[in-house]
Amino acid sequence: MLAALSVQTTEEEARRRGELEQLLLRTGQGDREAFARLYGLTRDGVYALALSLLHDAHEAQDIAQDTFVKVWESAPAYRPQGSPMAWLLTVARNLARTRLRQGGRQVGLDEEAWNAIPAAAPDVSPEDRQLLQEALARLSPEERQIVLLHAAAGLKHRETAQLLELPLSTVLSKYHRGLKKLKALMKGEDHP
Amino acid sequence: MTDQELDRRLAQAVSHTAPNDLDTILSRCGAQNGSVMEMKELDNQNIIEMQPVKPGRKLRPWLAAACAALVLLGAGGGGLVYQQSYAVASVVSLDINPSIELKVNRGERVISCTALNTEAAAVLFDMNGGADLKGTKVDVAVNAIVGALVREGYMDSISSAILISVEDKDQERAARLQAELVASVDGVLKTQAPGTSVLSQVLDANAPATEYMAFDSGLSAGKAALVRKVMEMNGTIATNSTTAFDQLAALSVEELNDLLETGETRIPIGKSAAAMAVETYAGTSALNSTTTDVDPELDENPPHYEVELKTAWGEFDYMVDAFTGEVLSGPKDVLNIRADTPVTPDPALTTPDTTPPAENNVWQNPGNADVVSGTAIDQETAKKAALDHAGLTESQVTNWKIERDWDDSRLEYEIEFWCGTAEYDYTIDGYSCAVLKHEVDHHQEHDAPHHGGTGAGTATPSGDIGAGTATPSGDIGAAAAKAAALAHAGVTESQTSKMKVEQDWDDGRLEYEVEFDVGRTEYEYTIDGVTGAILEYEQDID
Repeated sequence: MLAALSVQTTEEEARRRGELEQLLLRTGQGDREAFARLYGLTRDGVYALALSLLHDAHEAQDIAQDTFVKVWESAPAYRPQGSPMAWLLTVARNLARTRLRQGGRQVGLDEEAWNAIPAAAPDVSPEDRQLLQEALARLSPEERQIVLLHAAAGLKHRETAQLLELPLSTVLSKYHRGLKKLKALMKGEDHP
Repeated sequence: MTDQELDRRLAQAVSHTAPNDLDTILSRCGAQNGSVMEMKELDNQNIIEMQPVKPGRKLRPWLAAACAALVLLGAGGGGLVYQQSYAVASVVSLDINPSIELKVNRGERVISCTALNTEAAAVLFDMNGGADLKGTKVDVAVNAIVGALVREGYMDSISSAILISVEDKDQERAARLQAELVASVDGVLKTQAPGTSVLSQVLDANAPATEYMAFDSGLSAGKAALVRKVMEMNGTIATNSTTAFDQLAALSVEELNDLLETGETRIPIGKSAAAMAVETYAGTSALNSTTTDVDPELDENPPHYEVELKTAWGEFDYMVDAFTGEVLSGPKDVLNIRADTPVTPDPALTTPDTTPPAENNVWQNPGNADVVSGTAIDQETAKKAALDHAGLTESQVTNWKIERDWDDSRLEYEIEFWCGTAEYDYTIDGYSCAVLKHEVDHHQEHDAPHHGGTGAGTATPSGDIGAGTATPSGDIGAAAAKAAALAHAGVTESQTSKMKVEQDWDDGRLEYEVEFDVGRTEYEYTIDGVTGAILEYEQDID
């Protein structure tokens, strides 16, 4: 599913974008089937963004749910604007920020929260579990968001720059730096 | 492993861990905003909602047909009401960089409000994506949007520009609406963002569609028209250049307006490229913490972008050639500057932070910075080190934020917490547990230079050194300021090098900036010019 996003061709990206646009428009007309399909195609990206912002699996799950409820409610007002995924993620980002503000905290991070993420998923291989754990725990907050948005949400770097309100150059450098760190960690170069 | 393989594996891991809550979500999905009433009362309402984003010519015949069909199908008197209430009379677009489009009926009430790009979606988020503006008078809606744009910082620059466009078949009505909106927005901006230029234009909905508009669905009719004007001016319209259109469409209204006003025919590189040029030049591209503010100055000679680079150790100003991307001024490789010499950005180029809370910044001696081998400490150990250093217990502090980071291949813990109104920031070495950096910001108690009662035993010393030399209404002088700093550092002047004392005014307060080195340690002090109190100091080791 979303795993193939990063290697899509331009044509495939356009097709996928068009599909998401259509699903959003149909959702705006109250089509629950289209909404379910939209959810299936985009939930990974929304969850990944929420997780990278909130650092807590349970809160990320809550925000992902709230995001899709908000998408359902707001879809009638949606107009094609180039990137339906970016629109969805903007909703998720704003909800996550509101949650952080309401909680009176910036980030609540502890080892237990990190460890809780993959534990409940039976089909996650130990390697995947470790990779995600490393991505969440070892990358800086912005690196984490940028890497996950690209990998799991299929955002282009320019879209990520817009969403996170960062210069494109910063996004590019942090993406490459994040991947470099992950590769080093996977090779066992934990403490260079 | 290639980048793509790593991306794939990450995506797979996320996919396997993301919970599938579709049933729960569907159970929470009730009425949709802004659609229920119309859908019940007017079968065609949802079709109206499905109008393409682009306004104008293609829309109106279709809409007229929809309205006519409604009347023919027996909607009766409701058809006329419908036509008056829901038929689009004018399309108003607001452009800065966010682009927002309002469809307005003949009664000047908003039928729909649409974000045309992601930035605009963020601006409209608190207005329920624009749905909350439906039914309001257009001038009220426009003012609400302008207020949100100001709050989001889009008019912070002294030379910001907003474009208001009104598109209508009836040019007289459009001109009237344009004048009303410009007067209204101008009134709001006079108090909230006085430097902002308000540009406006009337577009003829009967004019032939510009073929370029099809290339970018995130562009308003108003901005497309502005781009077209620039293309007519610089001659690219004749060559039908979609490349030129795309490049110009990516610019802000302020940049486009500057091009028109100056008659400049070249196309500037844009804000993102200017920021990228500076980050490359300054050598900060790989840093986590740098940000940039870019202000186009295309109407100056030479046309350039002013870029402010904000780093953890100072702010630096640059000028970038607007067309070549060459950095015309500003420090190169700021990392090396920091390593070789004390940070002394040109005061003339440095924009001071004018709104800081009262704060004491303490940068602690990192001890043996060469300790990079050995076993990494865990998070709890790092947390305890910070607490011990601050002289606090865990029960006294709130709002923890702890992050692991790698800085120059060295594991560090970035730790933040609050105690009362004091915000503590620590950087703890991930191996030696040494306190690499320590900073305390006191919020609210603006004039309290020292810890507010809860910090017994913290490293922040009393800030009233030198107070005895102050004259209540006078200037203590550079010598007394220097003496206060030396006394605090516990060194004599003969032990220092690169001594620099500068008088400065910050928010109307006289201050002295004192900088010196002792061996490899850099000291920077900000001394109150009247009381001699130490307002801020940093100590860093190369």
